[in-house]
Amino acid sequence: MAIQPTGRASAQRPDNMMLRRTRTIFLVCGILAFLLLGVRLFWLMVIQHDEYEEQAVRQTVVRQNVLGLRGTIYDANGKILAKSATKDTVILSPADIKKNNQDLDGIAKVLSENLADYGVTYEQVIELARDTDSYYKIVARKVDREDTDPIREYKNSIAGGVNGIVLSPDSKRYYPYGSLASHVLGYVGIDNDGLAGVESQYDNVLAGGMGRITRLRDKTQIGMLNVKYEDYTQETAGADVKLTLDANIQYYLEKHLKQAVEDYDIQNGAAAIAMDPNTGAILGMVSLGNFDPNDYQVLSEADEEELALAEEEENLTKTELSERRTAALFKQWRNKALSDTYEPGSTFKIVTLAMALDSGVVNENSTFYCGGSTTVVGRTTPLNCWKTDGSHAEQTLTQAVQHSCNVAFTQIAELVGAKTFYKYCDAFGFLELTDDADANLTAKTGIDLAGESGSIWWSENTFYNPENHSQLASASFGQTFNVTPVQMVTAISACVNGGYLMKPYIVQEITDASGRIVSSNEPTVVRQVISEESSATVRQILEKVVGDPVDGTGKNAYVAGYRIGGKTGTSEKVAQDAAGGPKEYIVSFVGVAPADDPKIVILTLLDTPSSETGIYISGGQMGAPTVGKMMADILPYLGVDPVYTPEEKANMDETVPSLTGMSTTDAVALLEERGFNARIIGEEGTVTAQLPGTGTTIANGSTVLLYAGEEPSEEQEEMIDLSYLTYNDARDYLAAMGLFVSTSSSVTSPSTQAVLAQSIPEGTMVDHGTVIEVTLVTGDQSMLGMY
Amino acid sequence: MPANSRRASPSAQMRSVLPGWQAAAKQRGGFDITLLTLVLILLALGLLMVLSSSYPRAYSEAIRNESGSPLDYFNHQLIFAIAGLVIMYAASWIPMAFYRQWTKMIYLVTILLLAAVLVAGTEEGGARRWIYLGFFSFQPSEVSKLAIILLLADLIAKYRARMNTLRYGVVPYVVVLSFPVLLLFLEPHISCIIIVAMVALTMLFIGGMPWKYLLTLFAGVALLGVLAFFVSNHVHVRILAWLNPSAYADDDISYQVRESLMAIGSGGLTGLGPGEGRQKYLYLPESHNDYIFSIVCEELGLLGAIAILLLLALMLLRCIQITMNAKDRFSFLVAAGITAHFGLQTILNILVVTNTIPCTGVSLPFFSYGGTALLMQLVEVGILLSISRELPLSNAE
Repeated sequence: MAIQPTGRASAQRPDNMMLRRTRTIFLVCGILAFLLLGVRLFWLMVIQHDEYEEQAVRQTVVRQNVLGLRGTIYDANGKILAKSATKDTVILSPADIKKNNQDLDGIAKVLSENLADYGVTYEQVIELARDTDSYYKIVARKVDREDTDPIREYKNSIAGGVNGIVLSPDSKRYYPYGSLASHVLGYVGIDNDGLAGVESQYDNVLAGGMGRITRLRDKTQIGMLNVKYEDYTQETAGADVKLTLDANIQYYLEKHLKQAVEDYDIQNGAAAIAMDPNTGAILGMVSLGNFDPNDYQVLSEADEEELALAEEEENLTKTELSERRTAALFKQWRNKALSDTYEPGSTFKIVTLAMALDSGVVNENSTFYCGGSTTVVGRTTPLNCWKTDGSHAEQTLTQAVQHSCNVAFTQIAELVGAKTFYKYCDAFGFLELTDDADANLTAKTGIDLAGESGSIWWSENTFYNPENHSQLASASFGQTFNVTPVQMVTAISACVNGGYLMKPYIVQEITDASGRIVSSNEPTVVRQVISEESSATVRQILEKVVGDPVDGTGKNAYVAGYRIGGKTGTSEKVAQDAAGGPKEYIVSFVGVAPADDPKIVILTLLDTPSSETGIYISGGQMGAPTVGKMMADILPYLGVDPVYTPEEKANMDETVPSLTGMSTTDAVALLEERGFNARIIGEEGTVTAQLPGTGTTIANGSTVLLYAGEEPSEEQEEMIDLSYLTYNDARDYLAAMGLFVSTSSSVTSPSTQAVLAQSIPEGTMVDHGTVIEVTLVTGDQSMLGMY
Repeated sequence: MPANSRRASPSAQMRSVLPGWQAAAKQRGGFDITLLTLVLILLALGLLMVLSSSYPRAYSEAIRNESGSPLDYFNHQLIFAIAGLVIMYAASWIPMAFYRQWTKMIYLVTILLLAAVLVAGTEEGGARRWIYLGFFSFQPSEVSKLAIILLLADLIAKYRARMNTLRYGVVPYVVVLSFPVLLLFLEPHISCIIIVAMVALTMLFIGGMPWKYLLTLFAGVALLGVLAFFVSNHVHVRILAWLNPSAYADDDISYQVRESLMAIGSGGLTGLGPGEGRQKYLYLPESHNDYIFSIVCEELGLLGAIAILLLLALMLLRCIQITMNAKDRFSFLVAAGITAHFGLQTILNILVVTNTIPCTGVSLPFFSYGGTALLMQLVEVGILLSISRELPLSNAE
């Protein structure tokens, strides 16, 4: 029945329908629901696992690449030439700033305050922050750690961190000596990859190894709480490179080359290379104008002025201006000593001489006649010597070299013959003979430095033409072909080192971060080109080019106390000539010292001296004194002991002793003992002041001023032009004004050596007691000032 | 009569359907140890998961606020768990008759609290749900669930025989439900309305509401849902985010869903290991709260998640057993309501975190962080235990 069977208590009990419905809904729905959940979980966690895990890993796992610090570049003595230091890149994340509602004003303030040195302004940061979709806006690169420390502090000052600012570790390359050896060292780009020089050549050695940190991060990127590395590969520091280059020698080369560029108003740059002829090691290599690898994108002031002037005068468009700027940058980065070819001119006569001696067609007793010109087979006009008056006349082999007689060398080359000439050129590394007799010939030294160009020579068929010997004739004195300066210095080294062609190299050894030597360059003999005897003869003759104060065209390279050999070179720039422009020259000089046992060969070339300085454009007038001054600094540095003749000793500049406090009598006696004169100003008695000061080096025979109770005058003197005065005259003129003179040129004959250039220009106001530094040349007086 | 005898001992028949009852029920007068054990295990696991999932958040907040400890959330939850256990034990001693006596009062107080929260409540994320009481925030909506279960149970038990009439079978429930639902809507606390509505429907179904009313009510609720999709942008977005979580990259809800799926999916079969999850590091919002099960999946893997699901299922099964054996209709309906509440929250929560249904804020019983909710869950367990004390075993013999 429908009526409940039992009483009140029973009536309160759940009836069947309730129980049935409970059972139905709970069990059916429950089982279905839990099954659904199980299936769903299985689907997500097993079937789709990989996909979701990848997504999760992508957002939580940070893989950070860390580049090891780049290796250091040392000079031969262990001086640091290039070094990397850890820096920070400051990055702005506008998206994070917006997302986390971070204080942009505060961020912009802290960044602009601390990065002012990097050109970051408040407005700039605000501008960068406008791109709110971006997570990566570089604010400043290569920022010092000390500058980012306050930023780091600010980042962490707000709990959870200000992730709108990101600091990413980076490194910056430092070149402590600035522009010194800039072309050799090269430079690195913004990503620390070597772009030129040793930095480029040895990039894979210097570059640090990539390390990788794989770590977890939280959403705000302040680092996972349980900081643990899931994977960590240590980055490795790059290997260190030790050069054969000696910073001191490099400094001397640069100093005197710069002076030469200034003195002779060189228009198109200059280069110098110093090589150890016995090993082929590069001791120094300069190319001017150079640049500062710390800021390799910055043009020199002179270039900037020129650009500004061009912009003004030529009304350049923006594109043209930027093209000019790029061209100027490429020019300043170009290593003239390695990448430019030139016609070596008379310095090449050393090579012609060497091959003639070695092939036995000439000896020291051979004689040559020069009447000012000679005929050459196949040439319509006679070939003129540089001295056309025929005064060379009858010459010995030595004299022909001393005179740098073109006619004599044409004759020598004829004796050698075109084929032998080319064979020797091949052996000296100037060209590589091939099977194709019609191909123009070329060669490189293979030096371990980026940017070496190849030489340019006529094809064998052109050069060997029996009906036309003009190529051979011109080649005998270094014209009609192009070689690189480094090729030239390598070949000259072979001529004087006993005949061995060495492979030039710039890197001595490579050491890893722990100091272990990974590899080292040993001197490599490519081949013996000439005999020891021929080489010895070349050395003897070359010494006479410099050492003979009468006949030697290279006498301006002479350094008192030292045996220096050398050869001048003045080559006409043919391309310029062909274009119909004014004649332009490359003047050069190659010096070898000591001549009996060469330790260094220096080649210097000056591209296009200005015709307006009034100085006769020649290797002897410009190249030789430059190399002479380099030798005067470098040979003592190399520990070569000078041996002076008594005359030389008497002529040398002297150091002023300390005289203050002495009695005037004693002071005068001491000065006279040193070869100085003395003038007392005031009463006899005690010296209270002296001009010039203690330790100053001034010309022998200068008059030192002794003040007894009086003060030196405060007045200034106007500098005069010392050009073409002899050293003694210059000394005496200046003495009358209370000024002094000194020179780093060798004083061989103070009464005839003339001033070529002075350190303080005419018209400058100078204090009493100032020492003016001058460059001396032993000039053929008749030539000076004529061209 | 066979038909009569079948009807005469329905509970005996049911008992045989649900085995394992006899052994536990021997402790007459004592409460059900099995349920208590399952709840304690779940509570302990829940606390551990709160510790694991809240630690990074608490840590970063401690840094940001320059005070507090990474254990703050855990400690808070632990205090409520201990307090809840004490209250649960007390609740288990209160006879069901006493609850029935106070049902209306509890309902009225709840209505007042729900009204009070609209006035004095603290607003958080666009909703007023909490009343700040100095040391903790009190959430009246959690109380309302139990209050409604008790009142509905009372009314249904009273009107059971007249459930097929509109006056006694529909009107009273619609009336008593409309007040809290309206107040909850004003907070707003939609997910709580959903739970309340579904629990109420379940209880009305069990209480014998005829299908015509049930279907009408169900259709009404469904209509409201469809209406909400078109009217409320909030609901609209959630449904679109559910359909394609990756399409709404910048939307918070779809972000939450994506991060949750990443957490669950990356767990794989065996998980990353306890405490080793990645997503809790501020990627997954509410990782300690509504989305704690995502972290369970991530850290413990499918096997761990299934194990916890089984524990929850066992607990629910035990709740059903208690329900089926309740001594009277009121207790029966209260037990059914509580069971439905636990079951619905469990199922809905996991359906949401796995993006099986559109996102709505449902917490996982005994796991999710939240003082009032945990407290109320343990009170509900206490009531179930009280019911288990009063089981009419003698009748079954």
